[in-house]
Amino acid sequence: MGDTILLRFTLERFVGMVITMALVSVMVFLIMELPPGDYADRYAFRKYSGTGVNVTEADIEAIRRDLGLDKPMVLRYFDWIGGIVLHWDFGQAFAFETSVTKVIGDKVWLTAGILFATLLLTYIVSIPIGIFAAVRRGSAVDYGLTVFSYLGLALPNFLLALVMLYFANRWFGADIGGLFSAQYRDAPWSAAKVWDMMKHLWLPAVVLAWSAVAYQIQTVRATMSDELNKLSVTAARARGVPETKLLIKYPARLAINPVVSTIGFDVNRIFSELPIVAVVLGLTELGELLLKAYLDLDMNVAGAILLMLTFAIVFMNFFSDLLLAWLDPRIKLGA
Amino acid sequence: MPTMLSVENLSISFRTDEGVITPVQGVTFAVEAGRTLGLVGESGSGKSISTKALMQLLPGTAMLGENTRMTYTDKGGKDIALGHLKHGSRELRRIRGGEIGMIFQEPMASFSPVYTIGNQMMEAIMLHRGLKKREAREFAVEMLDKVGISNAAARIDQYPHELSGGMRQRAMIALTLSAGPALLIADEPTTALDVTIQAQVLDLMRDLQRELGMGMIFITHDLGVIAQIADDVAVMYLGTIVERGPAREVIRNPQHPYTQGLLDAIPSVEHLHDRLKPVPGDIPSPTNRPTGCPFHTRCAQAIPGICDAQEPVETTPMPGRAVRCWLHSDKDRSAA
Amino acid sequence: MIDATHQIDDLSAAEEKERERQLKYYSASQWTLIWWRFRRHRAAMIAASLLGLMALAGIFAEFVAPYGPVSRDTKYIEGAPQMPRFCDAAGCSMVPFINGTKTERDPVTLRAISVPDPEVRHYIQFFVKGERVKLLGFIPIDRHLIGLSPDADQKIHFWGTDDLGRDVFSRTIYATRTSLSIGVIGVLISFVLALIIGGVAGYFGGIIDNVIQRVTEVIRVVPIIPLYMGLAAAMPKEWSTTQVYFAMTLILGLFGWPTLARRIRSQLLSIRNEDYVVAARLAGARPGRIIAQHMLPSFTSFIIVDLVISFPYMILSETALSFVGLGLRPPSVSWGVLLQQAQSVRAIEQTPWLFIPAVFVVVAVLAFTVIGDGLRDAADPYSEAH
Repeated sequence: MGDTILLRFTLERFVGMVITMALVSVMVFLIMELPPGDYADRYAFRKYSGTGVNVTEADIEAIRRDLGLDKPMVLRYFDWIGGIVLHWDFGQAFAFETSVTKVIGDKVWLTAGILFATLLLTYIVSIPIGIFAAVRRGSAVDYGLTVFSYLGLALPNFLLALVMLYFANRWFGADIGGLFSAQYRDAPWSAAKVWDMMKHLWLPAVVLAWSAVAYQIQTVRATMSDELNKLSVTAARARGVPETKLLIKYPARLAINPVVSTIGFDVNRIFSELPIVAVVLGLTELGELLLKAYLDLDMNVAGAILLMLTFAIVFMNFFSDLLLAWLDPRIKLGA
Repeated sequence: MPTMLSVENLSISFRTDEGVITPVQGVTFAVEAGRTLGLVGESGSGKSISTKALMQLLPGTAMLGENTRMTYTDKGGKDIALGHLKHGSRELRRIRGGEIGMIFQEPMASFSPVYTIGNQMMEAIMLHRGLKKREAREFAVEMLDKVGISNAAARIDQYPHELSGGMRQRAMIALTLSAGPALLIADEPTTALDVTIQAQVLDLMRDLQRELGMGMIFITHDLGVIAQIADDVAVMYLGTIVERGPAREVIRNPQHPYTQGLLDAIPSVEHLHDRLKPVPGDIPSPTNRPTGCPFHTRCAQAIPGICDAQEPVETTPMPGRAVRCWLHSDKDRSAA
Repeated sequence: MIDATHQIDDLSAAEEKERERQLKYYSASQWTLIWWRFRRHRAAMIAASLLGLMALAGIFAEFVAPYGPVSRDTKYIEGAPQMPRFCDAAGCSMVPFINGTKTERDPVTLRAISVPDPEVRHYIQFFVKGERVKLLGFIPIDRHLIGLSPDADQKIHFWGTDDLGRDVFSRTIYATRTSLSIGVIGVLISFVLALIIGGVAGYFGGIIDNVIQRVTEVIRVVPIIPLYMGLAAAMPKEWSTTQVYFAMTLILGLFGWPTLARRIRSQLLSIRNEDYVVAARLAGARPGRIIAQHMLPSFTSFIIVDLVISFPYMILSETALSFVGLGLRPPSVSWGVLLQQAQSVRAIEQTPWLFIPAVFVVVAVLAFTVIGDGLRDAADPYSEAH
């Protein structure tokens, strides 16, 4: 019986996710259409500017026809999204004279790597600290942590990045910005390259995790404080459950629920901060690519990245719903 | 019957922002094996706090009075001084659940919502009976069966929210009893239930108590419930016991004006057409305790100049009974 | 009864006072109560005063700032902060002053550098004559709150100057106006949208609610800064700074409403079928009136808390976007634009005073957060009895 409920719940959420993704793709497409002029104009301008070739309206028309840009907007949308869904084809990146897929390439994995390193760091740090602060409520430690988390929320991440970069430079030498050391930047993937990346990954992860940690400490602390006062905790204590086991099994178990339910929110925040932090730390992954794409008006690349980031957030929301349903048996019935 | 728990001079204070308050002052009572003591009083009278002190379940801001003595005789016949066991000690954990079990008013809130009934029962069984997981599960099913839960083998894997209120309280009783306590503290276990279910649960508790030979402290605000379940009764008002004695006698012939007031407030079949007489006034806040007899602000028979000036001492108006009231201590009054 | 009269006769003066206090307490309006409780929240009161000071300085920037945001002091480029002092080698004075500067050649690099000249003292003055500016954009004034006498042959830079010799203190004051106003307008736009969208969804429920929820979800999941980058790219490059300012505020506002809309929706849904709402509906009141007159007042305090805590989001977004050059562009001055000049590790080492605007960002965000917490506690009727 429980399995069918879970199945129905999963299905419902899955359909919801697909609908949201479809709406998101429409919005992203509209943004891609926003810049004045279309792709053909810009393509022609870029290709022939400075070469002395005289571009006629007919030439642009030909490019437009070649690329299918003369079709109505609705059809173009379906061409675009169809290419993505069916062939993982995001169109041409004109700034780089190659396909968007090639330009983005393995940067997807780099971004995913940074994302998961950041999430992991966030939860490893914030959950135990939040629980500890709630158990020691009103103590000096609790007070200090509260002040820290307020500051964490108020400090802009790019400033933190700068400050961290400054200290990292002083303590660990100059070669700390970016994601790879010079000798590995363009080298093929190898164990040594992955290890080199790990050595660089902690800095962006710490910077990006900073505000998420501050936020989640407050969340965990608040929920844990509520849970500690619950009758079920007193009841378990009255049954002689040892204190440490009691804290973990009863209140702490419930205190992580709000954290799980905000995974998507954290991912959103990380992706929002990523382009800014990437500029300061000189990371060459999606975020900085996004910035370049926009400055060059390369809307195909920009749209592809925005779509991927948002789909990742929508998927993480779906994932967090399922995780929460698994963690808290009451959810499935309420949904 | 041997006395299994004796509480003398129990006083409990809390440090608060507005200074120290003392919601329980000099409470004395005893529980005999196999008998039920009913603790009666309005909310705020200190009955729950008193029993929580036995198990050291009060928050860190609570302090016990200097003269407080709480002695519990465990199943092995050893005397244990409650209230001063080391936090986290094996002894305290053995007492909690294994020697003294506790049932609370809200069955839903007493269970953790994210674990099955079985999970929480097996935890207690493994802790206190030293059984392995499989045996613990069998034992849990047995206990659920015993408290009248049908299809116990399936119900054991259900979550608390999947049971009805009455079933939940039965499951809570099964959970508490499965640890094998010799003394059961029931803190208003039937208050949150429907009246018909209330009677069933009361019957169940009385039967189980007889069968297992447990001592019981039954906390309630309802003297009617006391009549059904308790052997002895202690009436609490604002942190002190104002009257105690055998339940039937106290109900038939109350000595303290407060007890009389509580009895008048119970609807009865003989007087269906009379208006109910609530005890007038509100219970004063513990931060603002009246001088003299704590009840004098609401007492129709209060004697000006005495009741509001001096606290009455406990007297014995008849054998086996005790009452704390100036109306029953003429000699003391003339002396004062 | 006899007892009661007896007691009233006995009421002492202290008890009378206590009764009056209680009477005042029980007859106070909801907002008075919230204000009383908020006033006792010390951190929130400090935060509110700081923010008030910032807002005042921003509004009257022309008067508070000694110099214009783009006025250059070519004699003091990348100069360090000049701290007013009371004493120097020549003795002490009641009026704070700064020492003069003179130009010397660096003995090693031979570059011209400014060094303090202990022989000259310039005294700080209030309400000094200076640049002619228009207060609030239309009241011409030539007096400034603080500065050096017009006769002095130099300017005073409390917080140093940037690479063009512009006064960091003055620029920060002007930037405060821009950044706070973006917050205010952005939050207002979000608020109006949230009120309409959340109100419609929560009042009507059903299919309308379902559709609106889907749309809200889409706006909510899109990461704001990457999204903003896309929209910023679409902005014509030839737009004036004012146009960019309004476009940016509009975009931040247009995407900031989902959280508040959800709150309004769920609150409305939960009281939709309360008797007093049904009664109003049966009496023939129109939906807009029912929402505004009968439903919103029951949770106005929560809306205000949510509004206050959405300021940091606006301020931090503006700062971050301008910092990477996508938001406001010079010659506008905002906290983010000012921090653009402090983008490198080199700046931390050589011109750390360029980071002073960051202190404003942190203080403003902190203040809004603390005020939000204070208001939340104050608005919670169960937080305490008296």
